[in-house]
Amino acid sequence: MRLLKSLYFIVCTIGLFSCEKNSDSNAASNTGVGGSLTKFTISGNHIYAVSSHYIYAINISDPAHPVRVGQSALNFDMETIYAYRNRLFIGSKTGLYIYSIDTASSPRLIGEAKHGRSCDPVIANDSVSYSTLKGSTFCGPATSGLYVYDVKNLNLPLLKTTIPINEPLGLGMVDSALYVCSAGEGLKVYSIKNAYEPVIRQTISGYAFTDLIPYNNILICWVGDGIALYDISSRLQPVFIKHILN
Amino acid sequence: MGLRSSISILLISLILVSCWGYYNRTDDDGFVSGPRVLGFRPVYAAENIAKTILYTATPKAVVNPGNIYAYQNYILQIDAGTGIHVIDNTVPSAANRIGFITVRGCSQVSVKDNKLYTNSYDDLVVIDCANLNNVHEYSRLKGVFTEYRYESPLAQPPASGYYQCPYMIVL
Repeated sequence: MRLLKSLYFIVCTIGLFSCEKNSDSNAASNTGVGGSLTKFTISGNHIYAVSSHYIYAINISDPAHPVRVGQSALNFDMETIYAYRNRLFIGSKTGLYIYSIDTASSPRLIGEAKHGRSCDPVIANDSVSYSTLKGSTFCGPATSGLYVYDVKNLNLPLLKTTIPINEPLGLGMVDSALYVCSAGEGLKVYSIKNAYEPVIRQTISGYAFTDLIPYNNILICWVGDGIALYDISSRLQPVFIKHILN
Repeated sequence: MGLRSSISILLISLILVSCWGYYNRTDDDGFVSGPRVLGFRPVYAAENIAKTILYTATPKAVVNPGNIYAYQNYILQIDAGTGIHVIDNTVPSAANRIGFITVRGCSQVSVKDNKLYTNSYDDLVVIDCANLNNVHEYSRLKGVFTEYRYESPLAQPPASGYYQCPYMIVL
C-alpha cells in the first residue's frame, strides 16, 4: 500500500513537472465560452470560481488531478465572473471588482467601483466594461440599467454613462455590437463604435431573454422557454435562426 | 457565509417560534397543527448515488434552466441541481438537444480540451467528453467549493446546503 502511494506520488510529481514544461503550449488549447451570468471561468491553466464570499483558484494543468491553489474569503456578495487577459472582472451585489491574475494562483484585487445594491453581470475589454444592474427586492434598490465604465486605469474604473433598462440581465459584445438581455423589453442591440456611448439600434422582443453568448457568427440566447439562436454575421442586425423549446 | 447563516438560523428560529402559539392545537392524528409556511426540505441520498455522473444520449425536457455554455459545435445548458443538457449546434438551423449529463447538485460549467468542469454540490467534477459514446467522470476534487449549492442565477436560496426549492410544509 505504502509502495503504491509512493509510486502514485512519483507519477503525480512527474505529471506536474511535465506540465511545467508545456505551459507555453497553452495558446493551442481549446476553451469554450460561457454566458455572462456564470460563476465559473477558465483562464490559462486555472479555473476561477466565485461563490457569495469566496474566490477559488484551481489549477487544472493536469485535469486528472485538479488542485485548489487559492481561496480568498471576501465579503462582496459575488454574483458573476468574467476573465479578460490577465484580469478577472467580478460582478457583485455591491460593485464591480477587478482582480489581477498575473500570479495565476492568487487573484489580487486591484480596482473597484462601488454601486448601489443590485445584481450585476459584467463583461469587459482593454478599455471599457459593461455591467447591468438590476434593482429588485432580491438584489437591492439600485437603478436598473446598463452601466458603462472606463477601465483604462484598472485601479480606478470611471463610470462614464448609465442607460436605464427595465430588468436587465445577461450581456455580451462582439466587435462594435453590444447585446443586452432585458426581461421587460427584449434583446437590446447597441452600437458601441464609441465604446463609452452605446447607441440603441434595435430591440428584439418575443422572448424573455436571460443571458447570451456571441459565438462566432451565432448569438446563443437563453430565453424563458428555451434557447434561441440568431445569426449575427451582420453584428447590429441579428437574424432569427432557431428556437429550441425547453 | 456568516451573515447568511445567521440570517437563516434566525429565520428557522422564527419559523419554529411561530409554532408556539399553536402549541395546544392538535389535528386528528394528534399532531400539532398550525399555519402553512414556506420552508426548505432537505434532500437525503446515499453519496455514491447522489454523485454518480451519467450521460444519456436522449434529449430531456428542461426543468430548471441555468447557465449556458458554448464549446465547439455544442451548446450546454445547466439544469440547476440535476445536470447538463447537450445541444448539437453543428447546423444552427437544425440545432437540437441530443443528450443529458446527470450531475446532481450542479450549477456551473466550463470546458477546456474536451474536459468538462462542473460542480456537484461542493465538489469540482471533471468529466471526459472527448467521445460522446463514452462520457465519464475523469476526476473529482471533493469539497472544494465550501459555499456552493445548486442554483440558477435567478434563484437565491437564503442559505447554503443541500435543499430543494421552497416547499410548502404544514407545521
